[in-house]
Amino acid sequence: MKILELKNVNKIYNGSEVHVHAVNDVSLEFREAEFAAIVGPSGSGKTTLLNLIGGLDMPTSGSIIIDGTDLSKLKSSQLIDFRMRNIGFVFQAYNLIPVLTARENVEFIMSLQKWSKRERDERTFELLKAVGLDERADSRPSKLSGGQQQRVAVARALASKPKFVLADEPTANLDSKSATTLLEIMEKLNHEEKITFIFSTHDPRVVKMAHRVITLVDGSVATDEIRE
Amino acid sequence: MILKTAWKNVWRNRVRSLVVIASVTVGIFAGVFSVAFMNGMIAQRFDAAIDEEISHIQITGKDYVLNNDPSIYMNSGDGIVQTVSVIPGVEQVVVRKMITGMAGTASKSAGVQIIGIDPDAEKRIFKLYKTIIPGTGDYFERESKYELAFIGQDLAKELNIIRFSVDITVLSRLGEKEVPVEIIHKLKSISGRRFPNEKKFTSTVTSILTKRELKEYGQLIKEEAWSYRENSRMTLTFLDKDNNQVSSVFRIAGIFDIKNTMFEQSQVFLRNEVISRLTGMDESSFHQVVIRITDIRNSESITEDIRSRFPELDVKNWKELQPDLAMMTDYVHQIYGFFMGIILAALAFGIINTMLMVVLERTKELGMLTAIGMNKRKVFSMIMLESVFLSITGGIAGMIAGWITIILTAKKGINFTQYAEGMEAFGYSAHIFPEISTSFFVMVTVLIIITGVVSSVYPALKALKLDPAEAIRTE
Repeated sequence: MKILELKNVNKIYNGSEVHVHAVNDVSLEFREAEFAAIVGPSGSGKTTLLNLIGGLDMPTSGSIIIDGTDLSKLKSSQLIDFRMRNIGFVFQAYNLIPVLTARENVEFIMSLQKWSKRERDERTFELLKAVGLDERADSRPSKLSGGQQQRVAVARALASKPKFVLADEPTANLDSKSATTLLEIMEKLNHEEKITFIFSTHDPRVVKMAHRVITLVDGSVATDEIRE
Repeated sequence: MILKTAWKNVWRNRVRSLVVIASVTVGIFAGVFSVAFMNGMIAQRFDAAIDEEISHIQITGKDYVLNNDPSIYMNSGDGIVQTVSVIPGVEQVVVRKMITGMAGTASKSAGVQIIGIDPDAEKRIFKLYKTIIPGTGDYFERESKYELAFIGQDLAKELNIIRFSVDITVLSRLGEKEVPVEIIHKLKSISGRRFPNEKKFTSTVTSILTKRELKEYGQLIKEEAWSYRENSRMTLTFLDKDNNQVSSVFRIAGIFDIKNTMFEQSQVFLRNEVISRLTGMDESSFHQVVIRITDIRNSESITEDIRSRFPELDVKNWKELQPDLAMMTDYVHQIYGFFMGIILAALAFGIINTMLMVVLERTKELGMLTAIGMNKRKVFSMIMLESVFLSITGGIAGMIAGWITIILTAKKGINFTQYAEGMEAFGYSAHIFPEISTSFFVMVTVLIIITGVVSSVYPALKALKLDPAEAIRTE
């Protein structure tokens, strides 16, 4: 089932003297439960494309349709609400709330959606168990390793049962072992929860595990390889 | 969860938050205590004015107050008393005769207002009888073959009816009050000498003590060395009803001290019948009817009621008799609110500065929160709650500190004896008992919350303007 569609998406940054065509006429489709990596050299437009897909930025032209909703048609407040309900984010630098415990970080988005305490507790326990951190639920981020923090971030991204998760260079700050563990967990969740994962990455380990690899060059899709 | 996160965020940078909280604490403490101090001062002045000087309502002949003319009197005092006494809300009614005259002793004289009273009836309205300086007599209670006059401490000083001496008893009392031995030793050099007035005593004491000793113990020594000349006499001179000059000698019945120089210097109380006899005024004629009511909030309606019954007389309530006091009591809460508002406005700038730093430091985190779906209202609420927590924590600490200080100081009061002369000249006691109402704390709490909310608006708006994609990239 198609959950995300990009139609002739362009993003141009207009500076005072230079115009940068960061994303150039990109058209892509993503289906349920995909495990896709967007690769390409630095400056190829990976992060910009991810920001556009996540509704954090608006395309200069073209449209992005998520589950039948054209993002450009949404007001700012509707877009925030849409992101909360449909998109999970994993950032390179984990970006957990440092004053909250792992459990509270995962719960946070559910409380924004006014889930009941019981529902929150169940989902939090389920996700922290899935990422192997149920015993560190009451630890603050500062007491967790980088790999553990990123696993909490993955749990948080999945908390509100989004349509897909966008992960911007999720393994860039992790050592090899932590990165492998994280990728295995994400692949397992992708398989079990049928959630689409879209990564931007340089990491060959991510590329190796991805079921689909999209290569960007100068903002355009150079290749789009689907692996069986 | 936002509430919890905001509270935890407050303690993210403990030192900075504690500095802000401490500044709010100090500001609120200073404000609360200053207001309690002012409030105590005003309340004491108010009580003194009502209980010792004017009561709630006064009736006089038309234009008596304006002209101070003793020929303007009321013939049917008892009839007025009977009519007024049955008005609902009226508690006590007394009548007074009032004339002006001169009080004199062998060495001094002063212009005074001579008030004729029924001492027993007056006790039901005024508390002057409770303010007698120990050892100076009583409130017309003893039998005497002489006419008796009840006067104020400042008139007694003015007429040289008091004297100063440092005898063994005074030195022993000073020792009990922990005056250092070396000062007592110095004072022994003037033991046995009698000083006819305050000026001579002060001049002598100044010559034997150091400046520091004087500053610290001068007032106490003066208070202890002061004594009343027993069986002192004074002459009162005034006009009788036919404008003939009359003089008579009076013994001092007692000396009162109500910490109001002007009142003490100008009022001399005699028995009503003495004025009747000396001036030839009819026993049933009076210059003033003084009324005490059960609830001061009804003073205006009762005044109107009396006015409608006696349109030919002047009827004034306490607000009309002392408009300065009325203004203070009417606007005192607005003044306190304004005073606290200024303090909180100053504190608000500190909070705004801190919250701006918070937003700047947490740009990345705020971007992430917006990215994952925290809407603008919730971001605004979180920043606002942090600001409110900062101000309310400091505010509560400041209010508790203020409250404890008020309780501690209210027991014994705060003594400003070195400023007594100046304060008493305006009718204010130099011994202040701070007091404050619970409603004031409620008002301060509301003001603190408003300060927290207002202080958060600008930083929160800054946070709302952040572009999540850019904010997340911030290092």
